[in-house]
Amino acid sequence: MTRTVWLASYPKSGNTWLRMLIANLSANEAPMNINDLPQRGGIASARAPFDYLTLIDSGLLTHDEVDVLRPRVYEELARGAQDDEYDEPAAAPPVRFVKVHDAYTLTPAGEPLLAGRRGADAAIVIVRDPRDIVASLANHAAMSLDEAIAFLSDSQAAFSMRTDRQPSQLRQKLPGWSGHVASWLDQTDLPVHVVRYEDLQADTLGTLRGALAFAGLPASDEAMQRAVAFSGFAQLRDQEQAKGFREAPRPAAPGRFFRRGESGAWREELDAGQAARIEAAHAAMMRRLGYQLTPAPALAMTG
Amino acid sequence: MARFLLSDGRDIVFEAAAGAERGDVAIFLLGTVFGILLHQRGEIVLHASAVRVDGKAVLFCGSSGAGKSTIAAALAQRGFPVVVDDLCAITLTGAAPLVQPDGRHLKLWAQAIAQLDLAARRGAPVRQRLQKFFVEPAAVLAEPLPLGAVYALREARPPHQAGIERPNVVDAALILRRGAYRPLMVNRLGQKADYFRAATAIANAAGIFHLTRALDFAAMPDVIARLERHWRDIGLMEKAA
Repeated sequence: MTRTVWLASYPKSGNTWLRMLIANLSANEAPMNINDLPQRGGIASARAPFDYLTLIDSGLLTHDEVDVLRPRVYEELARGAQDDEYDEPAAAPPVRFVKVHDAYTLTPAGEPLLAGRRGADAAIVIVRDPRDIVASLANHAAMSLDEAIAFLSDSQAAFSMRTDRQPSQLRQKLPGWSGHVASWLDQTDLPVHVVRYEDLQADTLGTLRGALAFAGLPASDEAMQRAVAFSGFAQLRDQEQAKGFREAPRPAAPGRFFRRGESGAWREELDAGQAARIEAAHAAMMRRLGYQLTPAPALAMTG
Repeated sequence: MARFLLSDGRDIVFEAAAGAERGDVAIFLLGTVFGILLHQRGEIVLHASAVRVDGKAVLFCGSSGAGKSTIAAALAQRGFPVVVDDLCAITLTGAAPLVQPDGRHLKLWAQAIAQLDLAARRGAPVRQRLQKFFVEPAAVLAEPLPLGAVYALREARPPHQAGIERPNVVDAALILRRGAYRPLMVNRLGQKADYFRAATAIANAAGIFHLTRALDFAAMPDVIARLERHWRDIGLMEKAA
């Protein structure tokens, strides 16, 4: 029986990098083409699998009505249903990794949107310093830094939430960065393994090994070392430059998907006030995840 | 909203949920439920909108949100009347594949109505709680039309670039199967072979193509120009003198 493991993260937190590392475990000769990252079972909020499996036109439903039905889709997929009319894979993989940006929330009917234990066996939660997310998100979504900071603190924020057109994906609730991370860490349906972007960068091999062991997909050191070499940031960025990345923002947003891929770049990209606002809004969760807050300036001696 | 029971491609029994609005039940009955009923009958039913080009029906297939109704509405503005919207049954019994006009209104989102300048023909919302509206067709067709071409809509994203191409036979068959109104029904009812045969017949009589373009209203004039060139190339429209 294939196990389902969510790769859950706030946007721009390293989800695609981890997917690339996992995909490159089976690449032998050359790095996997970034445009060959599996799209089937690609992201939980994809619209087509919903329509395919429910037979219902999601475009005739409100976002909330779609949410009521989404758990049924994840149950079916976890049971092995295919989500499209391609030829079925010869052998079911031992673990099905599915990217998800939705916060872990309940539907209007009161059940977990992602169907709890019936939708997956476990979750790998990828987190990143919110000060680094801001600049990356601003680039991705064509926002200013200040708008991105506000988005990270907005408990009503979501992706694909417009109602005057049909967004290509289903709505993904992103109730603030702290709220999003807390929703995943504090839910009690699924066991969780936290991967920090910064750790993935400092010790890619060790962090990957830990995540795979948690997921129940052990890999040889050789395969992991090759995957790490094939998934370097420069490698991904150069591939995007050469042939484009189908998951990148539409041309309206001029940003590249693989932008800097650094940790701590916020020190150059944010001004002190911007960093302070993020820290003020997210101090508790940042401390919980081990992100250092800027020390308060020493009080000037008077007298 | 409602529960529907469909039997033998003939009977529809439904029960509206408490508090469901009649119009909401009707929109699903006339769309999804009728489509599934046609699948039960073993018909070739595509998720497609179509326009008339010189007496023939040109179909645009794609999943929800692919832009079927939008491209049909834009072509209607250029003088190619809409034949069907969203649900398209194809009859293969005669010499040429035929498409039956459905006489229905287009369903378009507020953004598309604004971008295509169709506010004057905007009708009631499809559902009270959606910003998707019925749009009255400029002309109503009655007679069945021979099928002229089928285009599968695809967004221009790496590695696919904007353009029109004719896929090989295997891919054309997959386009038609994936282009079914509800592909899962084709799969579960064991009709894949029927769709393969239909793809062969349609590819021979008309042509099955990929139409790849940016999902952007600004690209629409280019898309229409490209289609008109293609229709001249494949003999659907007379070449300009």
